[in-house]
Amino acid sequence: MRRNLCVLGIESTAHTFSASVAKENEKLLSDVKDVYVPPEGSGIHPTEAAKHHALVAAKVIKEALSASGVKAGDIDAVAYAMGPGLGPCLRVGAVSARTMALALGKPLVPVNHAIGHIELGCMLTGAKSPLVLLISGGHTMVISCSAGMWRVLGETLDLTLGQLLDQLGRHFGYSSPCGRRIEEAASRSHRYLRLPYTVKGNDVSFSGLITAAKRLVDVGEPFEDVCFSVQESAFATTVEVTERALAFTGSKEVMVVGGVAANKRLSEMLNVMVERHSARLSVVPLRYSGDCGAQIAWTGLLAFKEGVTIPVEKSLIRQSWRLDTVPLPWRTAA
Amino acid sequence: MKLVYRGAEADIYSDEWAGEGAIFKFRKPLPYRHPELDAEIRAQRTVREAEIIHDAKAAGVNAPSLYYVSQPESLIVMEEIEGPRLKSLLSTPGRDPAAISFDFGVAVGRLHRGGIMHGDLTTSNVLVDQAGVRMIDFGLSAHSIKVEDHAVDLRLIKETLAGAHSKIAVVVMASFMKGYASEVGEARAKTVGRKLVEIERRGRYARLE
Repeated sequence: MRRNLCVLGIESTAHTFSASVAKENEKLLSDVKDVYVPPEGSGIHPTEAAKHHALVAAKVIKEALSASGVKAGDIDAVAYAMGPGLGPCLRVGAVSARTMALALGKPLVPVNHAIGHIELGCMLTGAKSPLVLLISGGHTMVISCSAGMWRVLGETLDLTLGQLLDQLGRHFGYSSPCGRRIEEAASRSHRYLRLPYTVKGNDVSFSGLITAAKRLVDVGEPFEDVCFSVQESAFATTVEVTERALAFTGSKEVMVVGGVAANKRLSEMLNVMVERHSARLSVVPLRYSGDCGAQIAWTGLLAFKEGVTIPVEKSLIRQSWRLDTVPLPWRTAA
Repeated sequence: MKLVYRGAEADIYSDEWAGEGAIFKFRKPLPYRHPELDAEIRAQRTVREAEIIHDAKAAGVNAPSLYYVSQPESLIVMEEIEGPRLKSLLSTPGRDPAAISFDFGVAVGRLHRGGIMHGDLTTSNVLVDQAGVRMIDFGLSAHSIKVEDHAVDLRLIKETLAGAHSKIAVVVMASFMKGYASEVGEARAKTVGRKLVEIERRGRYARLE
């Protein structure tokens, strides 16, 4: 296979439509995104988000190509997020990717969105085979790589951290994603209100926490105190299960990726925790913590190098596609 | 006092107690946790662990003997068990995991039959010495006879096997279930096993087919 491969990646699993060009030696050449913003007080309506994606798709892809300085003809493959995610949103990305692949006469590469977060994080932070904490609207998982697969050591039994923060924010009238506004509100409080703290072995659960938190808002507790307390409880359970996995695996490298990785309080807590175990914490740079085309382009490049492609007529989407079922030929080959 | 293990929520020291080898388990303050929350969790888990160790022994489970409990220090002193963790036994190449997995199943079955869920059944929390399978770390345990709670225990075992012992996970789980059924009975083992599948399907992005 010829050297210095170049891959166009398309991401569209939830509220973000994004395209990026990645090249083997130069890494990321461009990353352009357009994010669907729901009306105040609501979350992502999948068909509304898909409509948004369909409107911006051509513009985003065009911009990603021109910003990269790569000629369309020099693209070697087109990677797309096959799943997991919202069906209508995934379909827009898949259609865009098929169109590009057919127009350019290049192969299509299916990428698992969650693995995209991890592989991009590894490339950007230099982590080799870390214990990964993946926290976003779609995932809350503690993962490590063994025998050529990412394996789940612990995860949420119900809501993800992203959903927890979004549902709390929406209850107060904000629109998703609410993480930044909740963090800002929490930073103004130091008053801890008792909330459920649920750790089941290596797993966490936030359903009781969100119910209790909404009730506190309803009885008139100040919003910043509720935000502070929710962050303290939810993040502490998350850090605890990460610590359990760290003690269990004896790993010396922890990497945190996904949208919620942007939260300063959480990375502060993780830093304190890893220090106790003489481990190192890498946090994915803010610019790339949320959903982006770069995660698909970069992981697509790794997969394509190992010969992973999919014929257009089989290039469906997979709304439910757990990352612990995906083979990683680029990790087994190394 | 010698630090022998730094766990997620406790530091384990080895020393003597009344002339016997003993383990000192300190639940130290975790500086990342809000102090109020932290104090509450440590006190609660220390008391619960001591209580459940006592009840587990009454149920016929080979848990360590308790020597001393201090809630203000979040300290439990207990019998030192001299034997490897199940985790390292299962990671020893060339060793047939079937017999020990069966015994592990028996121990968990006995615990469940005694109305206790362990809450943290990883292969790090099971030791094997001359007396056989010994269970430790009851900080997340609770009294429960609910099918759901017992299935949560089995789910964690399965998750740990898939995560850390992926190559032998299926064999170990099969002979674990045989041991488990020999204690709780075939019918109950099937019910709990079905609930386990249901819980897995509730998981995020789990396949529905």
